[in-house]
Amino acid sequence: MRSTELLPFVVYFAAVILLVATMLGLSWLLGQRRANKATNMPFESGVISVGSSQIQLSVEFYLIAIFFVIFDLETVFIFAWAIAFFELGWAGYAAIMVFIVVLGVALIYEWRSGALDWGQKTRRGLEGAPPIEETP
Amino acid sequence: MSGVNWWAIAPLLVLSGGAVLLMLLVAARRDTPLSWITTALILAAAALSCLPAREAIPQAVTPLLMADSYALFFTALFAICGLVTVIVSHEYLGERHGENEEFFLLVLLSTLGAVTLAYANHFVALLLGMELMGVSLYALIGYPDKLELPLEAAIKYLVLSAAASITFVFGFALLYAAVGVLDYPGIGAALASADNPVLLASAAMIVAGLGYKLSVVPFHMWTPDVYEGAPAPITGFLAAVSKGAIFAALLRWWMASGLYELPGLLTLVALVAGASMLVGNLLALLQDNIKRVLAYSSIAHMGYLLIVLVACGLVADPHLAKEAAAYYLVAYSLTSLAAFTLLGLLSRASGSKELASLDDLTGLFWRQPGLSLLFTVALLSLAGIPLTAGFVGKFYLFSAGVAGSLWGLLALLVIGSAIGLYYYLRMVYRMTLAGDAQPAAVERPGWPARLTCYGLVLAMLYLGIVPGPLMEILRTIL
Amino acid sequence: MKDLLWLIPALPLASATLLILGGRLMSPRIVAALGVGSVGAAAICVLLTVLQWQGAPLESQLWTWMQVGELSAGVSFYVDGLTLVMLSVITGVGFLIHLYSAEFMAGDESYARYFAYLNLFVTAMLTLVMADNLLLLFFGWEGVGACSYLLIGFWHFDAANGAAARKAFIVTRAGDAAMALGLFLLFAEFGTLDIQAMSAAAGERWEVGNPTAVLATALLLGGAVGKSAQLPLHTWLPDAMAGPTPVSALIHAATMVTAGVYLVARTHELFLLAPPTLLAVAIIGLLTLLLAAFAALCQHDIKRILAWSTISQIGYMFLGLGVGAWGASVFHLMTHAFFKALLFLAAGAIIHCLHHEHDIRNMGGLRTRLPLVFISFLIGAAALSALPLTSGFYSKDLIVLAAFEAPVAGPWLWAGAVLGAFLTALYSFRLVFVVFFGRTNTLPDRQPGPGMATPLAVLCAFALVGGWLGVPVSNVFPEAETGHAALWVEVISIGVPLLGLGLAWLLFLGRGLDAGDLVASPPGQALYGFWHAGWRVDGLYDWLWVKPYMGLAALLRSEPVDRLYGAVVGLCRLLHRALSNSQTGRLRQYGTVMVVGVIVLLNIVWRAAG
Repeated sequence: MRSTELLPFVVYFAAVILLVATMLGLSWLLGQRRANKATNMPFESGVISVGSSQIQLSVEFYLIAIFFVIFDLETVFIFAWAIAFFELGWAGYAAIMVFIVVLGVALIYEWRSGALDWGQKTRRGLEGAPPIEETP
Repeated sequence: MSGVNWWAIAPLLVLSGGAVLLMLLVAARRDTPLSWITTALILAAAALSCLPAREAIPQAVTPLLMADSYALFFTALFAICGLVTVIVSHEYLGERHGENEEFFLLVLLSTLGAVTLAYANHFVALLLGMELMGVSLYALIGYPDKLELPLEAAIKYLVLSAAASITFVFGFALLYAAVGVLDYPGIGAALASADNPVLLASAAMIVAGLGYKLSVVPFHMWTPDVYEGAPAPITGFLAAVSKGAIFAALLRWWMASGLYELPGLLTLVALVAGASMLVGNLLALLQDNIKRVLAYSSIAHMGYLLIVLVACGLVADPHLAKEAAAYYLVAYSLTSLAAFTLLGLLSRASGSKELASLDDLTGLFWRQPGLSLLFTVALLSLAGIPLTAGFVGKFYLFSAGVAGSLWGLLALLVIGSAIGLYYYLRMVYRMTLAGDAQPAAVERPGWPARLTCYGLVLAMLYLGIVPGPLMEILRTIL
Repeated sequence: MKDLLWLIPALPLASATLLILGGRLMSPRIVAALGVGSVGAAAICVLLTVLQWQGAPLESQLWTWMQVGELSAGVSFYVDGLTLVMLSVITGVGFLIHLYSAEFMAGDESYARYFAYLNLFVTAMLTLVMADNLLLLFFGWEGVGACSYLLIGFWHFDAANGAAARKAFIVTRAGDAAMALGLFLLFAEFGTLDIQAMSAAAGERWEVGNPTAVLATALLLGGAVGKSAQLPLHTWLPDAMAGPTPVSALIHAATMVTAGVYLVARTHELFLLAPPTLLAVAIIGLLTLLLAAFAALCQHDIKRILAWSTISQIGYMFLGLGVGAWGASVFHLMTHAFFKALLFLAAGAIIHCLHHEHDIRNMGGLRTRLPLVFISFLIGAAALSALPLTSGFYSKDLIVLAAFEAPVAGPWLWAGAVLGAFLTALYSFRLVFVVFFGRTNTLPDRQPGPGMATPLAVLCAFALVGGWLGVPVSNVFPEAETGHAALWVEVISIGVPLLGLGLAWLLFLGRGLDAGDLVASPPGQALYGFWHAGWRVDGLYDWLWVKPYMGLAALLRSEPVDRLYGAVVGLCRLLHRALSNSQTGRLRQYGTVMVVGVIVLLNIVWRAAG
């Protein structure tokens, strides 16, 4: 890369910096500053927020969400195969069957592991385990 | 896909089929010893399947995989290393509460990733193998999920790996933009006509991404924390299989694409190698934590290995360099696996969960003579003392370096080895000190683990005393 | 008889071995019997050899010590007239001194160790004089040096004795180094170290004045000078008096210190080919004899006076060697051994009887208190002063006359030798008058017993009549031309010692002149101090060698070279610490390093690609 080729990049980079600096600088210069009680409160479309943002949700929500993402994404592959069904022929069929079987095995595994259970854990081995220590 | 001799990728099929089978088995019946034995059998089968696979090579299985003797050699090596890890892990997991079956499943998957890397002849395969191995490792490192250190290590490894993968994939993109293909031979063919700066940049980024996994300077920062946090058998696996597989893949790419003909890359790798040797050894010098010492020393070892890549570009026939790399990888894999395994066993035998600091070693010789002796042999091999595999490997590297007239790197190799001697021998010295007379072994490791350790150490000594046969094999297959 | 030659050194060696191994267990009586008896037996062997000797050299090959390339060093003996003289002196005088020691050292807690050392010394000395090659000679040479070291420092619980022993060892070592170089040179030149073969080869190979010959003999002379305490390596001998008095008599008067004379005489055929070296020998001898005589004049330790006089007398021998009077030198060596051993033993007896008093200013009037010692001392002093009809007269007269006839600077050498003779008589009788006449300062608390009296009596006889014995060395040395010196030369040579005696009478018996007045005058004071300190050579060497060496040692004590390696270690530690600080454990910093690393790598490849 010659320095002449780099020049447009440099100019662009400088322009971005300049623009952002101008925006921030102007608003700081021109904007009015007040120190009222409500100044540092989060703005929720005019509604005063209640409670803390640190709410504890059950971990199963996340687990289900992850499973959804995984299986949802895998349908994409099946759709892609289905569109090209005839072009791929038996070889494609065999490949997608392997894929689907593996997916099925994974589902069975999750099911048996109790990952799909809500609340009451049926996974073996947890009964005797010491509780996770709470760290403040 | 027609006309493919499936035997050529038999190890891959065995491993992936085995993984699915094991998953079903776990779903059907949670039984740690059963999964343990099943995994061991699968890995042994994978290693053995390399023998019939020899009939079907060389063969390109899809553009992604290249089944040749190189792939099979490393496949066998990684499968055996995985097998060793599984065998000794059982000892380590011991009375751990919770599910232990997945541990073996993850080792299996990680080994599958490593084997894929050995076969990889295309960047997609490279990425697949790397991620398969890496993702499994994240979970393995953090497997003792009730402990703070392993979780911290897993998070660090995960985040930094992600950064490395980004760099790596960005390199792909640039490469694809520059030459329009992603298979190794294609890249090699397109090299001549390519836009040089972009190609160089992409290669540098890919090297950086792989360099992270190899933990070479300046991508080495994670190494000590992860080594320290991970369970000892997994640390051994990480050192032996993960690094070995990445290096095997890198070497294949390097050779197949003729990257060693780019002087800029040679300079880059030479600098990285030199920095790794120096920084790794210096960091290990006064370190008091054994696992961290071994982590730093692995940085240095990877630096030594990189000499081969530079030598490839400077010798008339790169075969010597390739042989040297393969020999060193075998020696290093066995040695580091043995070192970490023994460390784990010694920890358990001494009653503490992990042998952490150098002080814990004091007087170990008098409490655990057998295991300490084996550990000493492993350390000596790492230090490159004659009559061990480490020495022959280093000597091989040295001769490759001499063939390439890499005097600067060789000087650093010598300096690094000299510094290395200090911290390896310091550990040995600590073990021989008269310690307080503690009661004898709290717990004697089971026979499979002990047998494995003896086997590893014997292999190390065999390779150190009679290096001829392995050299002959390497000469014919590479 | 030649088959029994090996017995001569073997007897004392066996005794030494026994004493070293089992001396602690033996009673003093057995130790004395063994130590004295072995040397006595060796003396009898020597006597038998002398009686049966036909005049031809005896050779005895024992075994080959080592065979390296051309170098073949055998333990083999060569005994001719010269060797027989030395053997007689060593075993004869040695036996008497051993006998004397048995009483002198009685009650010492290291009695066995003493006799072990002494026997070992006799063995080494015998090896030295009997050796037929220079390597074996050197072996004996070093052996006597080691024994001398051990015996000077015999009373090692006094640090000063240890220092004296060390000094003797180091100073003679300087000469030994030169001698070793000489041996190497000779071996390189001739391929052999056999003395006879070498002498024969030298005569054929070298013409007179050959530079190599000069160099080789100069190096040998270096060894001789060191061992015989000649200038400039004489400083160790006065200090060597720290050892027991019989040791001083045996080693530092009768035998070891004359080894240098023996070496030059033994290799005289080489020296004859190097006239410059020979002249150097004469000059060294002359300077030494004068300097030492002046120094002897100003001592008040009885043993130091004798030590300086020994240096002076060996100077005479060197002078004799230098002017080609080989036989006269060896003759003087023998007579000197008699009378100087006598003097030392007598001095020892005084010291023994006077509670270890060494200072002659505290003695006096002992003539009547210790009559035997007085007579012995008187005879010894007369012989030392070369008063007519004593043994020293014959030998010294020969040397003085030979000096007059020397080819180069003869009269000057003669004049110096005569001045030396005058001084000798002066200091000898100063000693006699101060110690045995005048006021009694210290009373003796005992008389020498028979063990000490017998050797004194025997040595008295030898000191008187030893001059009539002559030495059987006519076959060894080239015939010296016996020109008759002028009568006045003879008269002066004979008369000067009498003058010295007379002056001593005047000065020290208070008949007219008072030595105290002389010394008290400013020039006298300065000279006295100067000579008392042995011409301040010790101070010079201290300033020239010892101080710089100690300075260097002090400098090296801090191991400057190791500092360099220490710096490497320090650098490694520093780098380790710096790098360790980078391992913070913080993920964000690790990530930053990675990003910076990628950027740096990109820069490197671009820069490399130009």
